[in-house]
Amino acid sequence: MSAVIETSELGKRYRRKWALTDCTLSVPAGHVVGLVGPNGAGKTTLLNLAVGLLRPDAGTIKVLDGTPAAGQAQLARVGFLAQDAPVYAGLSVADHLKLGARLNPAWDVKLAYRRVDRLDLDHGQKAGALSGGQRAQLALTLAVAKRPDLLVLDEPVASLDPLARREFLQDLMEAVAEQELSVVLSSHLVADLERVCDYLIVLVGSRVRVAGPVDELLATHHLLSGPRRDPDTLPDGLDVISASHTDVQTTLLARTSGPVLDPAWTISEVGLEDLVLAYMSQAAGRRRRDNHHHLEVQK
Amino acid sequence: MIWLTWRQFRVQAVTAAAALAAFAILLAATGPHLASLYATSKITSCHGFGCEPAANAFFGRLAGLDTVVYLLGIGLILVTPAIIGIFWGAPLIARELETRTFNLAWTQSITRTQWLAVKLALTGLVAMAVTEALSLIYAWWADPISNAISLGVGSPQLFSQGRFSAVIFATHGITPLGYAVFAFTLATAVGAVTRRILPAMAITLAIFAAVQLAMPLWIRPHLAPPSHTTAGIASADLAYGTLTADVVPGHPEAWILSSHALNSAGQPVTTIPAACNNPSADGQKGGTSPTTPAQCMQSRGYREAISYLPTSRYWPLQWIETGIFMALALALAWFSFWRLSRRRA
Repeated sequence: MSAVIETSELGKRYRRKWALTDCTLSVPAGHVVGLVGPNGAGKTTLLNLAVGLLRPDAGTIKVLDGTPAAGQAQLARVGFLAQDAPVYAGLSVADHLKLGARLNPAWDVKLAYRRVDRLDLDHGQKAGALSGGQRAQLALTLAVAKRPDLLVLDEPVASLDPLARREFLQDLMEAVAEQELSVVLSSHLVADLERVCDYLIVLVGSRVRVAGPVDELLATHHLLSGPRRDPDTLPDGLDVISASHTDVQTTLLARTSGPVLDPAWTISEVGLEDLVLAYMSQAAGRRRRDNHHHLEVQK
Repeated sequence: MIWLTWRQFRVQAVTAAAALAAFAILLAATGPHLASLYATSKITSCHGFGCEPAANAFFGRLAGLDTVVYLLGIGLILVTPAIIGIFWGAPLIARELETRTFNLAWTQSITRTQWLAVKLALTGLVAMAVTEALSLIYAWWADPISNAISLGVGSPQLFSQGRFSAVIFATHGITPLGYAVFAFTLATAVGAVTRRILPAMAITLAIFAAVQLAMPLWIRPHLAPPSHTTAGIASADLAYGTLTADVVPGHPEAWILSSHALNSAGQPVTTIPAACNNPSADGQKGGTSPTTPAQCMQSRGYREAISYLPTSRYWPLQWIETGIFMALALALAWFSFWRLSRRRA
């Protein structure tokens, strides 16, 4: 099994509006995969399709080589933590654990209790009275203790304060280390993902802009700065993602296939956040140009 | 899944059980008094024409509390299906969507179809059981009154509702089962569409009330084949100033679906003939007898044609009506399954 999620020309429509169109991607197994993209990129729709809460209107999606939510066996293999970690407000923490135990054949009782005790959650407390961080932790416990092969988390830390955010992600990493899990988590904040992900997919407008192991992405992307220069006279082997110019200087964020030998360039490392932003704005710029071009043709 | 269903439903179930118990206690407290009134009345030993006065005497001796309980019971059985629909059915799917907990429920190792099947079956069965239990204990309590009504039209209009009357038919026998399961599945299906609890409650209430009205007014009269008879117009006990029959001679408890007068030539007439329209004047002229339009018309050979349902069709009609609601409930449940399997987030 090489891919945990494999989609081909996947599309999903809400009434007439397409939330996801023509999305083809492959999420490799054995990684903690970050799915980044701006709001409206189709991340939530994609993840809902992966766990079977939605059905595709176009294309295909395979999760762990099966159809999402096709039956009990498939459902048991995928754990899901939805946006804002919904739990039953009227049910206690203990009720939630019982719910997990009753509805999942592979439920790990010890793991569930260990996590809840470590998190210092009161078993008798109603879930509606938990803090946002505690609620997320409880929902994560439910998703992890069902012992899935794939754990899908949709914006798991978006509504948490920075401290709860860090605790949650640490906790997630411990769970991943303990069990052999593939994880896909989405966020529109790269900083959240940087700490935990070893693989990144940038999704903009339903399209994969870049995908790859984080260390490889960092190793092949550089920030080049040097005297101002015409973009057409750049050396070979440079794939410019973004460029900015002042009167005297040009700064490029580029993907390089080999070492840059021109001594005129000062080469520096690029952070993951800058890298992702560059890809997002490249896509945005391209769309603007496309629109502009379209208008000219119409004239 | 059974555990989760019970865990989410137990507050409502306990509330329903408590309400049922409270009503049962009220019936148990007032029932023996009512039964002894009946036992000591002349109804038990009456014959023929003596029964109507005996029944009226019995009605006259009923305490105010008996009357209140009699009406309360009918009202409760009529509204219970609506209440069950609103509070058990409407939130069944809509609450999961509204609070977004469907994300949790439908990603456990259980398919959505199983989830809904258990929820619908368990809650639906309790809904039917509660409503039917209510109807049965009430029928036990009201048995003396029902018997008395079958013997004669009660002098207080209150006790004039026979077994075929709109409210009595829908609150006795097995029809409460049908109404309960229909209201419950209707609300569930509406909730699956509106995705919000409050609109689902409002829509359910509107539809259910419309069905509760439409059933006795326009649908029930056509559910069983009627019997026809032609009787002497005076014995049909015409309501004053009309030509519609109030009683089917020989079938005191029958349900009159339609009736009209025929003249001596067998042709239908729609108005009271002028000669009989002013009985007092007629009486003065003739000096003696005919005092009512019916008696006047009877003497001139008029007859009354009646189509009706005899009491022998009571149970077939009960089964047909309940069957219709069961079928509707199945269709609505199927719709909910279909809706859930292709829902959008």
